[in-house]
Parts: sequence; structure tokens; C-alpha cells
Amino acid sequence: MALKVLDPTNETVPPLGQTAPRLTSLAGKTVGFISNGKEGTKGFFAHLDRLLREEFGVADVVMRVKSNYSAPADRDIVDEIARWHAVVTGIGD
Amino acid sequence: MDLASKTYDVADVHAVQELYHANGWTDGLPIVPPTQDAVHACLDWAMIPPDQLLGIEPVRGVPITAEKLAINAVMAGCLPMHFPAVVTAFVAMLEPEFLLHGATASTGGCAVFIVLSGPVCRELGAAGSFNALGNSDRATATIGRAIRLALINILEVRPGGIDRSTLGHPGKFSYCVAEDEADSAWLPLHAQRGLPPEVSAVTVMAAGAPRQIMNEWTTEPEEILETFAAEMRANMRHYSIWAGNYALIIPKQLREHLQVARWSKTDIAAFIFERARIRRGEWAAVGKGKVVRDRGESEYAALESPDHLLVVAAGGPAGGFGAVIPPWLGHKSRAVTLPIGACVDCEPPER
Repeated sequence: MALKVLDPTNETVPPLGQTAPRLTSLAGKTVGFISNGKEGTKGFFAHLDRLLREEFGVADVVMRVKSNYSAPADRDIVDEIARWHAVVTGIGD
Repeated sequence: MDLASKTYDVADVHAVQELYHANGWTDGLPIVPPTQDAVHACLDWAMIPPDQLLGIEPVRGVPITAEKLAINAVMAGCLPMHFPAVVTAFVAMLEPEFLLHGATASTGGCAVFIVLSGPVCRELGAAGSFNALGNSDRATATIGRAIRLALINILEVRPGGIDRSTLGHPGKFSYCVAEDEADSAWLPLHAQRGLPPEVSAVTVMAAGAPRQIMNEWTTEPEEILETFAAEMRANMRHYSIWAGNYALIIPKQLREHLQVARWSKTDIAAFIFERARIRRGEWAAVGKGKVVRDRGESEYAALESPDHLLVVAAGGPAGGFGAVIPPWLGHKSRAVTLPIGACVDCEPPER
């Protein structure tokens, strides 16, 4: 028997932010880290900090830690992103 | 009012299954074809127009309309009479303290544990007796599944997508229980949590899998509850030490001992609050010595306060069993209880 059935998904796509222009070089730039604050992030970001400064000539690395690792970044951290050239964040433990 | 969703013409019910599976619209099990008539029947029962905005998912700004929720409820096998409970559960999950995005995206892999309480349990045939945490009845099976399908389809909470669970647990198919009020002298859960006893309500909690306990060798309340507290302590050692909402599922056999001794849910919570505690140093005995540091003597309670314990009367009549349902992760998410049904005079819930 032929059936007419309905789409169960949210067909309206929520507005997405635009991707920032890609950098051609990290030299002399400011890079922000947004950490979820979990135990394993300390070594990871410390290593990445050193790598960016020593091998890519990054001028400054700004480290920010979310107040709740399961929630989106705090408003003041999000506001600060505009002052950075690049930001590193992600999920994980 | 017409439905706004895109429609698909398919040859038969088998083709429906293949279409929905191929698009990632299922939990892996067959679904009930969501036809316009079936979806309208759900909306009509709940007296909600299809375009009613039930809420907006706060992180990604995704609107949740009654129509989309009803489509997923039909797919889950819900009858129209089940839909108001689905709506209430989803609205409860949208309360800020539930932290919906975190609770559904986390590597921690929790599920949405749903407790039905009040007259609705009897109306829906949601008995809360035999096999209460398993496949006990149609209502709890389909209401719990509707929530999962709605998360998958409306909020894209698919494994490997938004859902980053490392393991998850079987409750992610359906994790709904009805409180056994007909066979309990206790206040129903929603009354314990501040709603009028006569209403029907839904409580949602971001929760791990049930941890079953057994103690058939005593009638003393303190001894019975010590077994529950020990399981909570085990959860604190082996999983997470942080305080959060815990649910205790207490079936009839153990419940009767507690009720004969006139222990109320409040008494139980007060006892558990004191007993479900560990020292941080106990982590060293379970392989987590590295994070004890210099705080080995620091004491951690499973509950911030006694009212964070959800005591639920449910389970078959025989067997000295019970279950501890632990929180996803401390108080990252808090349990939310809402009454079912519209109330034109009600104030919004207090923040």
C-alpha cells in the first residue's frame, strides 16, 4: 500500500557563523586556546604552545579555560576571540 | 492546520523502513510510518497546533516544534495518548539546568531517564511493576524511544555526530519508568519535588545505566539502605566522585520493609545523604591514585543535599532487588520535573 510519510528532521538549518579567513602564516600572530579544562588538556596545550612559538613563530598564545567543560564557552571567552588571529578548540578528554 | 514537513511517497511499509534507515532517521529498529493522519492524531490529543514552538535548543538555536516532535513520537510507536508525556519530557529537557547539549553530546554516554508519575501512569497502562526498568509496557517503551528519536532527528544527536558517547548504554533506546503509586504509601516523585500530588508529571534526568543491588537478608531500613548507599559509593569510586542527582528504584519487597518501619522518601534521602560519601583517597584503591594528590582525606558526598535524591517506587512484587541510577556527571545536568498538560493560570517554573 502506497504511503505518504513525513520528514522527521529539523528541515530548517540553524544559522551558522562564517569561517574566518584562513591565515597564510602563523608568524607574529596571536593564537587563543579554549580548553575544556580536563586533566589531559594540560600537557596537550603546553606542548602545542611550545610548538607554535618555536616552530611557527607565533608571537603570543592566550590560554582560556571554560568554567564548565560540558557547556559552551563562557561569554567573555567568546568575546575575546575577536582579538585573536586563530583559535584552537575541540572536544576530548 | 496543515503540516509543514516535507513528505515522501513510498510504495509500502518496507520501503518506509529502508528510506528512514538510509537517511539515518532511526535508532536501528523499525519505525511506525509517520503519516499525516497519525501525526495529526497526536497533536489533536495534546491540543497543540503543529507549528507551536515548544522551545529552542540553546546552543545551536534549533527550534523544536510540536509537529516534529509528534512525527518522532509516531515513529517510536506512541499512541496519541502518549504524546503529552513526550512533549512534557522534551520541554523539561530544554530547561537550562538540564544542559541538553552537554548531556546528549558528552563522551560520558548518558541517556535521558524519564519517570512518569501521577494518574497518567494508570491512564496509559504504564504499570511500573514487573521488569520496570526493562520492556515493561507499551507506554514507557514508546515514550522513552520517542525522546531518543527526537534527539536523533530534530537535534542531530547521532552517534559520531553530535552524540560523542564512548559507550552509551541500552537506555539510549528507551529509558522510561512509571512510578508504582497504586502499590506505594509514599508521595509520588513529583510531589516529593514540590508539585501538587494530584497532578501527573514527568521527571527527566541525564543518567547512566542502572546499577542493580540485592539485599534479601534483612528487614531493617538502615541495612537495606546501606546497600544502596554502598552502590552509590562504588559509583563515586569507579565512575565519578562529583555530587549530582541520583535515583533509587525501590521495588515492592524492599519498599514494604521501609514502609512498615514508616520510613518516608524524605527519611530515606536523609539517610542516604549521610551515608553515600567517600574520601578522595579511596580512589587509590581502584587505580586512580594519581588524581588523589594531597586531598586524600577530603570527603565527598554523592548528594549536595537530601532533596537531590530521586526515590522512585517501581519494580515487580518479588525480589530483594533495587537499583541505583547515577547521574551523567555530577551536577553538570540537573533533574527537572514538570507537570503534564496546559494550565492557563500557571506561572512559568521558577528559575
